[in-house]
Amino acid sequence: MLLLRNAVFLCIAVTFLLSCSDKQDFSQYDDLTITPTLETSIFYIKTQESIINRVTGLSFFSQDFNFDAFEEDLFAERVLEGSITYELENTTSKEIEITIEFLDANGDVLDSEFFRMEAAPTALLTRVVAYGGINKSLDILRNTSQIRLSAVNLGDNTSTSSLPDPAVVLRSSAKFMVRVK
Amino acid sequence: MNRLVSITLFTVLVCNFLSAQNKQILYDFNEIPQSLMVNPGVESDFKWYFGVPFISGISGYLGINGVSVNDIFAEDGLDINDKVRDRMVNGMVPRNEFSGNVQMELLNIGFRSSNPNIFYSGGAYLEFDNITYWPRDYAQLIFDGNADQLDRKFDLGDLKTRGSLVTVYHLGINKKVDKNLTIGARGKIYSGIMDYNSTRNSGYLLNTEGQNNILNTTLSADLELRTSGFGQLDDASENGTVSNTLVKRALFGGDLGLGLDLGFSYRVNEQTVFTASVLDLGFIYHGGDTQNYSLAGTANSEGIQINVLRELSNLNRDYWQDLVDEIEELIPFQETNNGYLTFRPTKVNASLRYDFGKPLGSSEDCDCTTDPSGSNEPRMAYRNSVGGHLFLINRPRDSQAAITGFYMRRFGNIMALKATYTADKFSFTNIGFGLNLQADPVNLYAIADNLLSYRNIAASNYASFQLGLNIISWGNK
Repeated sequence: MLLLRNAVFLCIAVTFLLSCSDKQDFSQYDDLTITPTLETSIFYIKTQESIINRVTGLSFFSQDFNFDAFEEDLFAERVLEGSITYELENTTSKEIEITIEFLDANGDVLDSEFFRMEAAPTALLTRVVAYGGINKSLDILRNTSQIRLSAVNLGDNTSTSSLPDPAVVLRSSAKFMVRVK
Repeated sequence: MNRLVSITLFTVLVCNFLSAQNKQILYDFNEIPQSLMVNPGVESDFKWYFGVPFISGISGYLGINGVSVNDIFAEDGLDINDKVRDRMVNGMVPRNEFSGNVQMELLNIGFRSSNPNIFYSGGAYLEFDNITYWPRDYAQLIFDGNADQLDRKFDLGDLKTRGSLVTVYHLGINKKVDKNLTIGARGKIYSGIMDYNSTRNSGYLLNTEGQNNILNTTLSADLELRTSGFGQLDDASENGTVSNTLVKRALFGGDLGLGLDLGFSYRVNEQTVFTASVLDLGFIYHGGDTQNYSLAGTANSEGIQINVLRELSNLNRDYWQDLVDEIEELIPFQETNNGYLTFRPTKVNASLRYDFGKPLGSSEDCDCTTDPSGSNEPRMAYRNSVGGHLFLINRPRDSQAAITGFYMRRFGNIMALKATYTADKFSFTNIGFGLNLQADPVNLYAIADNLLSYRNIAASNYASFQLGLNIISWGNK
């Protein structure tokens, strides 16, 4: 029995003595950061010229939309920086102005974006609005509960563009970096 | 939610490193009673043996291919973020795995029948078992996100994991048919303590150019996670009765299953032996405490879409909530308590052994002893053996193989040594060593694997051990 015990101790001792390892630093895990950038479309609005012609007065469209995406904890608590890309296309015969306002739960305006576009034919208007860091505050998005879209017709109410399916189209997508760890 | 957290923690902290083990050194190591556990048809010559409870057989291994602890945590001055990104996120592929196994014998006894050609063995052991494949596309999505990756399909089928904690009760019979052939079988009853598996997943996440909006995001998912046992353990954790619940589920109070091991040893000639075994041909039905989660369906989204002409009379509706509801309807997340069946990870072993040597302390004209089992047809037990061993195991992705060459030397009845070289998906430089010591009736064995990796164990992709303590009697004692 003594022989066995000694043999086992010897084996274990030899194993431990012969085994070695480069120095490891497991505290490096604390420095690991996981910050993916996620991208998806957010909203798309199309207003046909026939609608614009029906509305008398400058403002032909104004609507508040509930928009809770930025308030979700998954986003609000983890977002680091990002941007919203807007694409505005005007194929109508009218010069138009578009205003996008970000509203909090009380209906107060937190921020706004203003676009003006000449009558067709005009190039696609693309604007990238950055948030976080030295750019616009992320709190604007975190507190956004509604989006207000307003459109103004600076042209007439009778003409019709010769382009197919004339309309004012607003496209948008969001690209944000969030902290997972 | 607690259940999901428990499963995740269990997977990550414990079972990610556990899976069915290749016991190539123990296999055909006839001097060790536990060799019956890897081939019930091994040529055994014990009169009886009794494994010391809880320490008669302890074994385990960790296997990680594609990356090592040293690759990530070495104190090398490199930024861990670069190391993780280069060596794991972009360096590993879905075939890479984190796997391992821990097995602890609770009881193991054996005795020879009044018919000296028949040997019975039985007992119980506890086994953790897991394999998790590297979910590459999930990792790339989590680390990099899907931005600026138009038309890139993130494969949701990359998620493949399976794990269990079971108690196995077994009873085996080993019969020496004649001088050349020994066969064996072992029946098993599995008492499942906990189980989780998510192996049949498919689907993708994809951003393409939108038809109306800038981007079209498609989520097509057919994902399922099936679990058993975690509910009772959650409750027990809150009540402080985890031990009682574990014991209860280990003693047939959990999921039940049946299994079978088969094996044989056949002497092609006096010095050449061919052996083979198939282990854990079995299943477990999980029905008592199951919780299954699934996400199935396909949804495309270009965000909130408003066509003013079409929706002129309905512009006040909640477009955001409608979008969320629509996606949840198309891809519902469901929880069910349906029972399910799992099949055990079946293993196949085969070996060809050549015995040889000159007499050493033997009256025979060879380096051998006679079979002491008391059989009517004694066979020679040579003191040198050399041979090869093949191991196969079924995995969620495919079958995996390991091939081993071995040399074995017996020093009288006191000591036997076995050295092996193994090549498998973890290593091509796996040198193993086994030691069996016998002091009168006391038997002790210790086996270690991939010894070259001990030069820098943190850089190893594979490490395993087996050890145990038995009391043995031979037929002529």
